[in-house]
Amino acid sequence: MLIDVHTKISKILKQHPDALEAIISIHAKFEKLRNPLLRKIMAARTTIGQAASIGGVPPEKFFEKLTPLGFEVDHHASADIPDPLPAPTAFLKEVSPADTITLDVRPIIEAGEDPLSLITTHTKSLKKGAVLRIINTFEPTPLIALLAKQGFISYVERVSADEVVTYFQKKEDRPPVPDVPENKTEGWDRIAEAYKDRTRTVDVRHMEMPVPMMTILESLATLPDDAALHVYHKRIPVFLLPELKEKKFDYRIKELSGSEVHLLIFKEK
Amino acid sequence: MIPATHTGITRTTSYKVVLPFYLYAGLAFLAASVLLFFSTTAFTQHYFHPRTLAITHIMALGWGTMIILGASHQLVPVLIEGKLYSNVLAYLSFGFAAVGIPVLCYGFFVFSFNGLTQAGALCIIAAVLFYIINIGISMVQSGRENVQAVFVFTAMLWLLITIIVGYFLLFNFTHTILSKDSLHYLPLHAHLGIIGWFLLLVMGVASKLIPLFLISKYQNREMLWWVFGLTNFALISFIVFFLFFESSLLYFIPVAAIATALVLFAFFCSKAYKDRLRKKVDNPVKISLLSVIMMGLPLLALAALIGISLTAVNNYRLVLAYGFCILFGWITAIILGMTFKTLPFIIWNKIYHARAKAGRTPNPKDLFSDRVFKWMCLFYLAGFMLFTAGILTSLVWMLQAGAVLLLLVALFYNGNMWKALAHKPKDNE
Repeated sequence: MLIDVHTKISKILKQHPDALEAIISIHAKFEKLRNPLLRKIMAARTTIGQAASIGGVPPEKFFEKLTPLGFEVDHHASADIPDPLPAPTAFLKEVSPADTITLDVRPIIEAGEDPLSLITTHTKSLKKGAVLRIINTFEPTPLIALLAKQGFISYVERVSADEVVTYFQKKEDRPPVPDVPENKTEGWDRIAEAYKDRTRTVDVRHMEMPVPMMTILESLATLPDDAALHVYHKRIPVFLLPELKEKKFDYRIKELSGSEVHLLIFKEK
Repeated sequence: MIPATHTGITRTTSYKVVLPFYLYAGLAFLAASVLLFFSTTAFTQHYFHPRTLAITHIMALGWGTMIILGASHQLVPVLIEGKLYSNVLAYLSFGFAAVGIPVLCYGFFVFSFNGLTQAGALCIIAAVLFYIINIGISMVQSGRENVQAVFVFTAMLWLLITIIVGYFLLFNFTHTILSKDSLHYLPLHAHLGIIGWFLLLVMGVASKLIPLFLISKYQNREMLWWVFGLTNFALISFIVFFLFFESSLLYFIPVAAIATALVLFAFFCSKAYKDRLRKKVDNPVKISLLSVIMMGLPLLALAALIGISLTAVNNYRLVLAYGFCILFGWITAIILGMTFKTLPFIIWNKIYHARAKAGRTPNPKDLFSDRVFKWMCLFYLAGFMLFTAGILTSLVWMLQAGAVLLLLVALFYNGNMWKALAHKPKDNE
């Protein structure tokens, strides 16, 4: 597998079982990856470049550890992590304490939960110019990249080895970018991840109409309630969709090309 | 059977190709029903009447043919598991037909068969040629043969013959090129269109779509080949009898062949219906199935006509009722149903194919109003029956009442279609 600074940690962990220990050995901060839930949510959001910045190590450290496991490094790609502003003074002075919200997410992460939804409820309601102060144990590089897309500027202050304070200021009222599927709790990747060990697969690409629809419906008839059906299809089966709604199934569709479509079908919640 | 390893290129035809045809057809239906309302007295007279000719051609070309052209650009690639050869040819086909149809129909309306009207007819021939070339190449490229594709392709050839014959009839008004007057050849032109184009095409496509929409495993290729053979035999024998024999009695042979084909096809549909997985049949499919039963009405009228013609009485009321049952009956019923079984899905695909990864998407069925659809169907059945009764009794008030209802149907139809077209995704979807 070819990797570079943009490669997601989750992809690497999926590729090789030993990659987890290799990454944890780089920095103590990555110990959190041992927690299966945090690993699931954090690793999917974080690239090598971002992880390197969290750990305060150069990305080469990752490449060094991963090459022995069979990963190949693509050195052409360059990091594009937004640089946090050099000095906090410029915007912090202008903001009154009333316009500053402080969130200490350390206990949430300690408990093995995902703080993202809590953070986004605050960023959504934040007024222009107001500041969100997040206290964490590491530099939240993926969050900085995400909020930069939504019009936030940021500043990182390392208080101690275990305390990093990040300031986010809303510069403009840009609506959240809608097509960041990986950050949506509703998106394909999250649902695929959630049903990871309970997914059945059916390939209907070689079948002639109307056999694909029958096959899918027959497979769904025997699908346990807590499982998902992963369908390989040639096109989006539009006539199947009302049928799914009728039978109280929800679905996500991933269109790889005009002739390759994946469907993930699961019970509505 | 299809080899199981096949993973060729299949691609959904762009909505940009298909939607203009649908919109045009909807407006043509509206125009025809407005004209119908203002021409009710024409339906108490001989069928060779300028207004009747204009309405017939708006319905047959603007409504029936346009929507079939649009839908088949979408459906044929699905049937043959290939992709449409050319979008440009599809646009050309639309453009020429869109210009030619109103020019031709205006010519009928004012009863003028000059160069302009003939140019309109030539535009329609060009449109059909572009269509045949496009679909033909798509079929050859896919390299697959199935009974439905053969139905469609044969129907396209009959359409071409129909409009070429139509063009000669038009030309014959101003320059005598045929041995008899154009009125004499009208039955030939009409049946080439009705049987060769509409009936073959509808049965071919429906034999694939009805089992699909009912979610039925029922298949019977052999029976469909019989339907295909009988229909073509009926049409060819009719042409031969028409051109070379004078006896009306002989016409019972093609009628019997068509009747057998229709019974077989109805049997095919009823088997598919009985074997269906989906217990609750939705409204658009119901009205489409009803249209299969409605195919029997013109057949009855036809049998009655031939029976009467043996007594040498030319009954123009029955001829009018016959034509009306086909264009406003069977063909309209199937289009009313199938539009709302195809259009919302085309629009859904346009809007949501790229979004369906990120989150929930609405049900394609909810893009149009089911309530408006139901009312449309009720008004349609009432309007159709009233108008048919009006033709048979020559009662103008009955014709007018029927025409008002059909006009409302056209308004509901267009309104619901525009509702689906105007669908905007919600942000959280």
